[in-house]
Amino acid sequence: MVHKFNRQFLFILEFIFFILIFTFTAQAQVSPKEMLEKADEARGSYEGVEVTVTMESNELGRKQYRVMKVSEKGYNCFLDTLAPSNVKGQRILMRDRNLWYANPGLSKPVPVSPRQKLIGVAVNGDIVSTNYTRDYKIVSTQDSILKGEDCILMNLEAVDKRTTYDRIKYWISKDRLVGVKGEFYTVSGKMFKSATFEYNNKITINGKPRDFISKAIITSAIIKDDFTIIDYSKPVQKKIPDALFNVNLLTK
Amino acid sequence: MKKNLYKNITSMACIVMALLFAIANSTDASESLQDGTNRNQHIIASNITQQEETSGYESSTLAEEISKELFSGKENTEILMPENENKKSWQKLENYFSADLRILAYGVAQNPAESNRNPNNDFLEIPHYVTNTEIRPDFYFNSNYLDLSVKPRSTFQYNIWKEGMRDGDTDWNDDWYVNEWIARVKAWNKLFLSYGRENLQWGPSFLYSPSNPFFSDNGRSNNYMEVQGMDFARILFVPHLNWSISLIVNTDEGRNSLPNSEPFEKIYALKVDYTGINGYASLIYSRKDSSQSNKIGFFGGWTASDALLLYTESSVQNGSDAWYPVTDSSLFGASLQQVHQDDDDVTPTILVGGAYTFLNSGTLTLEYLYNGPGYDRDAANLTFSTLKKAADAYYSLMKSAESDSEKDELADSLQEYLSSQNTDPGLRFLRRNYAMLQYYQVNIRNRLAITLRWTQNIDDGSGQFFGLFSYQLGDHWDLFGSGIINAGNKNTEYGSILDYQGMLGLKLSL
Repeated sequence: MVHKFNRQFLFILEFIFFILIFTFTAQAQVSPKEMLEKADEARGSYEGVEVTVTMESNELGRKQYRVMKVSEKGYNCFLDTLAPSNVKGQRILMRDRNLWYANPGLSKPVPVSPRQKLIGVAVNGDIVSTNYTRDYKIVSTQDSILKGEDCILMNLEAVDKRTTYDRIKYWISKDRLVGVKGEFYTVSGKMFKSATFEYNNKITINGKPRDFISKAIITSAIIKDDFTIIDYSKPVQKKIPDALFNVNLLTK
Repeated sequence: MKKNLYKNITSMACIVMALLFAIANSTDASESLQDGTNRNQHIIASNITQQEETSGYESSTLAEEISKELFSGKENTEILMPENENKKSWQKLENYFSADLRILAYGVAQNPAESNRNPNNDFLEIPHYVTNTEIRPDFYFNSNYLDLSVKPRSTFQYNIWKEGMRDGDTDWNDDWYVNEWIARVKAWNKLFLSYGRENLQWGPSFLYSPSNPFFSDNGRSNNYMEVQGMDFARILFVPHLNWSISLIVNTDEGRNSLPNSEPFEKIYALKVDYTGINGYASLIYSRKDSSQSNKIGFFGGWTASDALLLYTESSVQNGSDAWYPVTDSSLFGASLQQVHQDDDDVTPTILVGGAYTFLNSGTLTLEYLYNGPGYDRDAANLTFSTLKKAADAYYSLMKSAESDSEKDELADSLQEYLSSQNTDPGLRFLRRNYAMLQYYQVNIRNRLAITLRWTQNIDDGSGQFFGLFSYQLGDHWDLFGSGIINAGNKNTEYGSILDYQGMLGLKLSL
């Protein structure tokens, strides 16, 4: 009887241990939502970052470029166009989901939608701070290998109609926790553009160094030869004042 | 017994292995993964970036070259980095200055409407051809605590007349002025005090901005024509990301001209702005100094979806400062007078609008305007009947003139008489109900931008078509043009001044 009691006791102890171990390991794994949050951080810092963005687009054989200084903080973004000369001084201000466009020739800032074209295949919503964690819900995930890198493929659906895309397929590197590829779909389910991302810049988030986006290549799915290359260089982490995102100070 | 001991040892071994595995995974997953990479770790303060070729496309060498050229030798002086502290003060100061230069050269061809408002083109003397060259340099000084800017302008205009008594006349004008300038002190990046000459505009509307008590022209009708600046003192307080408060005093009319040469009155305004997640709103209270008339303005916008914007802009005031026709004993039986200034009746002006952006980035905008101070049917009829009497009298006199010199004298007398009369109603829109439909699209084939607009005066049935295009010829040159076609009989708002106008020009940006 003592022998039988010992066996039962050992069995209960083992059971308790396995429950505890399961809990620990579950907490230690990064959830898909956390991975998406990390991937968002790598494309726009919530603390405040200033970066130089150079865009080159090729649309039906015609090339166009832009050089812009971009200041981002949280859900806010300010773009100031520096080159070429005939578009110098054009500005875009994003305050959460509100966008304004200002031009030296315009008397006042014009409210514009995220769908408005910026240059080439890129729209305003591609450049300003992306926040997939807030704007999209994760419908499903699956493991995937992309260019030899172990990734998780997330199927994202827009939480409401204010987002730029209705549905996104998003590949996030399991190793680096950055988004490496995206496919963007319309309401009808048709893919109309895709993008790949590189992260050769570094910034510091919560005291820890993190990869930060260095290049995005956006390709039209409708006209395969149309693409826009966006280079992000000289990222600088800094305290950005709230007044920079005030529309009263947008026009020069 | 041996069998039981073996089972117990196996169980304990499983437990120990499981524990070891749990400990290994309990540390932060990303940290452990990051440490496992072979990448070099550089802290951002060194501003070092690495470029690796991993995509199928070549590096954008043009973009990189341009970026390098623009930023060569320029460090970010906002951050105190060891290498910046060694720079000379004048080198740091150089970074605060910037300048733009735009030169516009354009020609205009327009046909004055044959109407009672401008018989024989001798009332308004509209030139048939105009060539204009404008030099628009902008100079800026932007530092952490002080912003300065000045926008001097010079214009060279040549006019040719083809209608009326001035047929065959030519005229050459040049004008040199400062259209805008500003000095702004920034305190803690929350308080901004400024004084200067500005084209101070706000609001989401295209057609008209009724919430703005200073400017009747919001500059949206033609982006290439600058609105003349007025002098303002401003205090802007930004206590929070979502809120801002402005105190504004319009101290002088500056380059702007007031209707009927009425004396300038200071206007004081308090403006409160709020920006939320999906929308924004502003409230403006303004008061004229000497007449003490009050006006409350409002505008707001809502991002309904990624493609649809909805907005409104409005104002209410006691009475109206506009000039209305009044039957009296003057030469033609009526004259323009400010008869509603002291009314207690509340006069609203309300605009509602929406803009939808298609997948091709083209945007369709629809606006409706109710212009409360505008003329009703009786006032409009009295205005045009008085103008008809004046026009008939003028034609009769011209017919009876025996020589060209006598006709010239009559035309000069008419101009002299008109300059002593109030001829400007002081209204941006003459009547009360308007609608506007507009389509615009930018970056077509990376070169072209177009705007097409139809404005309808619902009250008198007249309308105006406006088209604008700009085409990039390179990094510095733009070809631009616009066209206006007015529809309506000679006793309507749009049918009474111009039949059509076309403009074509080149813009150089440096």
